[in-house]
Amino acid sequence: MHRREWLKSISIVTLVGMSGCRGYQYGHVIKPTAANMVGSHEAGAEVFDPLIDEAVAKLLARQNIVTDDCPIGPNGQPMKKSICFVGIENKSAEDIGDFKDKIYNQIDSKILESSCFQSMSKRMVDAALHETRMRPDALLLPDNMRLFTAVLERSGSPVDYLLYAQLTSGTTKRNSSTQRDYELTLELVNVHTGMNDKLSSEVRKGYHKTAGGKFWNYNPLKR
Amino acid sequence: MTSCATDRSKARFPPALRKQHLGYLAACLCVLFSTGCSTHSKRISQPRNLFYDGQLQACRESLEKLAKSSRHDGDVVNLDLAVVDLLSGQAKQAETKLRDVRDRFDHLEQDSLAEKTVSMWTDDQVRSYAGEDYEKILIRVFLSLSSLMHDGVDAESYTLQIQDKHEELGQRFAERNGSAGPEYQPLPLGFYMRGMLREATLRDYDDAVRNYEVASSLLPNSLPLVWDLNRARSGVHSQPGQGVVYVFAMVGRGPYKIEVAEQPTSDALLVADRIISAVGPYKLPPTIAPIKIPDIAVPPSDVDNVGIRIDNSTIGPTSSVANIEQLAVSTYRANRNSIIARAVARRVIKKATVAAAKNSMGTEGLTAIGMDLAGIAWEATEAADTRCWGLLPRDIQVLRVEVPAGDHQLQLSPQLGKQPVGPSKSTSIRVVDGLNTYVICWFPDARSVSQIMCSNRAELVSNP
Repeated sequence: MHRREWLKSISIVTLVGMSGCRGYQYGHVIKPTAANMVGSHEAGAEVFDPLIDEAVAKLLARQNIVTDDCPIGPNGQPMKKSICFVGIENKSAEDIGDFKDKIYNQIDSKILESSCFQSMSKRMVDAALHETRMRPDALLLPDNMRLFTAVLERSGSPVDYLLYAQLTSGTTKRNSSTQRDYELTLELVNVHTGMNDKLSSEVRKGYHKTAGGKFWNYNPLKR
Repeated sequence: MTSCATDRSKARFPPALRKQHLGYLAACLCVLFSTGCSTHSKRISQPRNLFYDGQLQACRESLEKLAKSSRHDGDVVNLDLAVVDLLSGQAKQAETKLRDVRDRFDHLEQDSLAEKTVSMWTDDQVRSYAGEDYEKILIRVFLSLSSLMHDGVDAESYTLQIQDKHEELGQRFAERNGSAGPEYQPLPLGFYMRGMLREATLRDYDDAVRNYEVASSLLPNSLPLVWDLNRARSGVHSQPGQGVVYVFAMVGRGPYKIEVAEQPTSDALLVADRIISAVGPYKLPPTIAPIKIPDIAVPPSDVDNVGIRIDNSTIGPTSSVANIEQLAVSTYRANRNSIIARAVARRVIKKATVAAAKNSMGTEGLTAIGMDLAGIAWEATEAADTRCWGLLPRDIQVLRVEVPAGDHQLQLSPQLGKQPVGPSKSTSIRVVDGLNTYVICWFPDARSVSQIMCSNRAELVSNP
């Protein structure tokens, strides 16, 4: 090859071969009706949204039946039961990162929408935890519960229920594919009687290292 | 074909002028294309010395002057300025600068056709500096610290970003090299800070446990991390009436880049050969003279840790949660072959260009020697890209201590082992019941003037 051609080809390679120009980053607003993006490595909105919707709906529906005989207030309307949402415990295999506070707020908002319950301000709960210096998991001990609810009552927020949320997961592996079952459990403890109610919701999700992994593991012919 | 081309050029230029003028033209082009005899490491040496002498204002002025005079150094100079801001009590300004550079480095991760092309004919200094992998991680670490020092609003987000960025860079390295190496081992500090912040909510102890577990697995010999883990598992953040002080000590002088002459490794030659072979039937010359590339240097340190005393009671020494030297050296060396390969390819392209020019012009005698000399000058003026974040510590260490709420006197002294090796420095801190108070100090060496900064969160809470 002639040197001039060689030079020409070098120029082409330096100009074209090392391709790529710096671009921009773009964003767009997702319509509320659009489906969530499905996380490729861990759970995201596609898992947590239905988990929360189902678990809270189940819990409120059952408690509505149980608390039909709730006392009538001075205005003639049934008095709402007060729920103190203590917190979410993540016991799943994944770090949920910035989702934790989002899950808390989502559950809290759904309780507030209910006609029979009212949720206590998170700041009140934080202040009571700060004052008593108790761990959330230690509140179920009778003495601790009494002390904690007394602090809340003193600040003008009587408590009827303590609500705990727990996120757990179970993992099944098959070669390069993994199935992870996510479960959100809501536990409602009546501070007057000590009785508790528990409900869960589950979302299963498959992770695959190959494009055909989904079909191979979840086709109708598979047992 | 050669004779035809020569005939055409003979027709265009008078024979007397042709060889001489074209030779001069080539020499001029070489000089024009050549860049920077001065490297960043030379330009930054004065502000760095001022910083270590404790002259923060003079250091700031020097850095600002450098940022104005050298366009390509802007981002790294801003990183150095952010450190100066942080240690002189302007944490918000530091956070703003760090955030700007973080976003710019993220943008520069995309390739630029023009810069890559020009760098093949000059050197890597003409490229926009996109930051080394360790710098991208440490920007997020310093963002977390800056945020903690003024309002703490975004501190938790930054700690998540440390882990995300580290994971992303590790994955990218694995994609390039086929497997993930130990070079991209996560930084324990990111997990530690996240655990610290989750524990401070007095509610999310499960998150604290998860993060302390990871930090503890990365530093299995660290006893304070075991204490933190046990406390998060079964204890509480602090007893009623008490608050917590976190002292983040930056110890030693950190990594920076210097220019070295390197003999290309076989791996680098293989990559360079692929670049050269792609453009024609030519092969890489069997021998390549040493090339100039940047390397990481870390000055020796005469400080191991910082001894902490509160109200004249000895608390203990700080312990390492981020070995920046190790992070910088391992992540930089992991990518070193690509830097060498680029330098080798550049060398071959320059040599071939001069040879092709001589051949096509049919130069001989003095003109040929002139062109050879111009070619040598072209290669010689090439300098290694030593741009880097120059004001980094060698190690970031931490100590956690629970003390009664109220005002306290904090005393910090640099230590070698358990022995103090330099003058101690004192500051007063205000501790608030159930809250964290953060202190940042830097002991570059036993004799340097250390800087101490205390978070103002205590004042904000007590005087809302």
